Amino acid sequence: MDTVIKHIVIVGGGTAGWLTAAILAADHNTDNGQLLNTGALHITLVESPDVATIGVGEGTWPSMRNTLQRIGISEAEFITQCDASFKQGSQFNNWRNNSGDSYIHPFSLPAGMPDFNICPYWLPFKQQVSFADAVNAQARLSLAGLAPKQISTAEYSFINNYGYHLDAGKFSSLLQQHATRVLGVNYVRAHIADITNTVQGDIAAIITKDGAAITADLFIDCSGTASLLLGRHLAVPFVPQKQVLFNDSAIAVQVPYQQPDEAIASCTQSSAQPVGWIWDIGLQSRRGVGQVYSSAHCDDKQAEQQLRRYLQQSGILDTDQLTLRKLSFTPGHYARCWQNNCVAIGMAAGFIEPLEASALTLVEWSAKYVSAQLPLPASLVSISAARMNQAFSQHWQQIIEFLKLHYVLSKRSDHDYWHDHRESSGIPSALQNLLQLWQHKVPSAHDVTHSDVLFPAASYQYILYGMGFETRGYPELKPTLQKKAHGLFEENAKRIQQLAAALPGNRQLLDKIRQYGLPPI
Amino acid sequence: MSKHVLLNSVEHLDLKVITARGAEFGDNVWFTPTFPLEFRSVQAHYPIFFHKDAATGQFFSVAVFGFTHHENLFLHDDNWRGYYVPLTLRRQPFLIGKQVVREDGTEQTQSVIHLDLDSPRVSKAQGEALFLPLGGSSPYLDEVSSMLKTIHLGLQDNAAFVALLLEHKLLESFTLDIQLDDGSKHQMIGFYTINEDTLAALPTDVLGQLHAKGYLQAIYMLIASQANVRTLLKLKNQLNASAAA
Repeated sequence: MDTVIKHIVIVGGGTAGWLTAAILAADHNTDNGQLLNTGALHITLVESPDVATIGVGEGTWPSMRNTLQRIGISEAEFITQCDASFKQGSQFNNWRNNSGDSYIHPFSLPAGMPDFNICPYWLPFKQQVSFADAVNAQARLSLAGLAPKQISTAEYSFINNYGYHLDAGKFSSLLQQHATRVLGVNYVRAHIADITNTVQGDIAAIITKDGAAITADLFIDCSGTASLLLGRHLAVPFVPQKQVLFNDSAIAVQVPYQQPDEAIASCTQSSAQPVGWIWDIGLQSRRGVGQVYSSAHCDDKQAEQQLRRYLQQSGILDTDQLTLRKLSFTPGHYARCWQNNCVAIGMAAGFIEPLEASALTLVEWSAKYVSAQLPLPASLVSISAARMNQAFSQHWQQIIEFLKLHYVLSKRSDHDYWHDHRESSGIPSALQNLLQLWQHKVPSAHDVTHSDVLFPAASYQYILYGMGFETRGYPELKPTLQKKAHGLFEENAKRIQQLAAALPGNRQLLDKIRQYGLPPI
Repeated sequence: MSKHVLLNSVEHLDLKVITARGAEFGDNVWFTPTFPLEFRSVQAHYPIFFHKDAATGQFFSVAVFGFTHHENLFLHDDNWRGYYVPLTLRRQPFLIGKQVVREDGTEQTQSVIHLDLDSPRVSKAQGEALFLPLGGSSPYLDEVSSMLKTIHLGLQDNAAFVALLLEHKLLESFTLDIQLDDGSKHQMIGFYTINEDTLAALPTDVLGQLHAKGYLQAIYMLIASQANVRTLLKLKNQLNASAAA
């Protein structure tokens, strides 16, 4: 008899585990926010009381709005409970040549996209206006500290596209509460002592420290870098990427605001350093700052000095009182995320430096992918697994190439780190080919070939032209499309002015949301 | 601008308030907040919709007087066309304030009357007196006081009403497309009304809950009030015709 996957066990209770649990439960066991008596899945999350979650990963993409809405959490509750703020993109400082240069990769698409590629029509004006400012209002408005919406904008709706900055620990708690109290997810706190197999080599059960066996049809490994099920037990090979992306270490610190009403930045700040870069994320009550670096290029002490210098420059005079936390990781991913009856989601599937905050996004993408396969007869598991493995290999490849692009375009020369990044031996050949093409034409949708893509052509445009990349081969500019583009440029300039007058500041809006909530429609 | 002060019988003994209607007194408003306690009177003349307060994002019930900013089609020759004037307009230039007082050692919040001294309605020469010459409040001020109390309770009740409507997904946004006699087309956006499909499909226990609070009646008065859009159209067409003549 062909059994259908019904029992699902998720191992690990960080953000990845709880997000996955909530997405699966909301998709299959609820209707219109109400728990069904006839839910299709039986979901249990097993979390070890002995293992602390990492609790970094404080930036999301706009997809998180859809995810939160899908699992039925109100946006005001999320913002209030998770110390969350709005993220409208990433701002890259000193990446170009360490000369005080700065550009923004905003979440909003350029005007006209995806139907009309406006980029070639901007090329003739590149001396007058940056690409991001010519085609979109978001860079300018977020630089001015303005929120992406108003208090009367319905929850999860936007005026300018946004994701969030959040407190990962608080987010995990909120998801846990919601998953267990509203979505009917079973929660077991137990340390996993052993894993048993079926004769076919599938996972049969996980055995807890006190000897209980927890069986399931499908096991989801959210155990973090330990990768207990996929990596350790099923021995799926790990594909290291350190030769492309050197960073393998981070030092993280939480920094209080100097004034309680200090402005909250609307972009993740990413400031390039002699070795690596520093993230700076503004939540409601504090900042989260961290130095990402390559242990092959500098030791922990040098990295710490870079971080302290950055903090001092940003106004923290006494950095001795701060608690620094060192993290190490092996950049790379497992060759397959789905093996037999086990899917790994989150760091259990792989981890790459957080330069474009793709970690939580991959969790959402993965959980939604698995959810879309269900209900799944056991006989078809291998087909779904093969398809997911192919899709996520492409995602990893794209993330790696897209992150590498940031380094390859840099003209910094203050450390071997940057020279090494530009060595062609470390640049994936697909990226090398694209870079040659892009000298003659702007990136277009055809350059990004797989479906459900993480970074659309627009992202490549924002990074390339933010970094001052030269596309020399001017394309034919058709007069009617030129007119259309100029219309869009003018409209955008007008929109910047109008919105600058109409949008509240980030902190002002967040305070209001705490007070009034957000209208549901 | 406005200058709100706590009303008192010493400083404000000689003040009067002009109660005539007119654009010069700030009556040229597109809409004004109302609440279920007042719906019966309001729905006889004006469409009642919902609108979000720009400062808080909260939904208010509003009586609508026109199709655009500063358009009140019921103001005519500086007079209101004889109809019921909603309380939130009639209360001008008074508003309710909060004062913390200490009574028997505990702090309590008390409702008090505030006055906008910068309102064009405030006068020393004409209008209704606030206080009697020998002290004590005038019948007019007593009326104001009870009006403010009604508004205060009414808006609280409206908040509970809206919360229930939202809980049961009974609100929906709509776009009002109108065509005037001169052929011009206009669109009114930013308002919300009752979703009648959801209403029709409500389970009886929810209907019972709405009925027990008097909100079922309020909902049907809201729906019936939509017919008054015709009145607005008629007034707008008349206005355009007389302007053209």
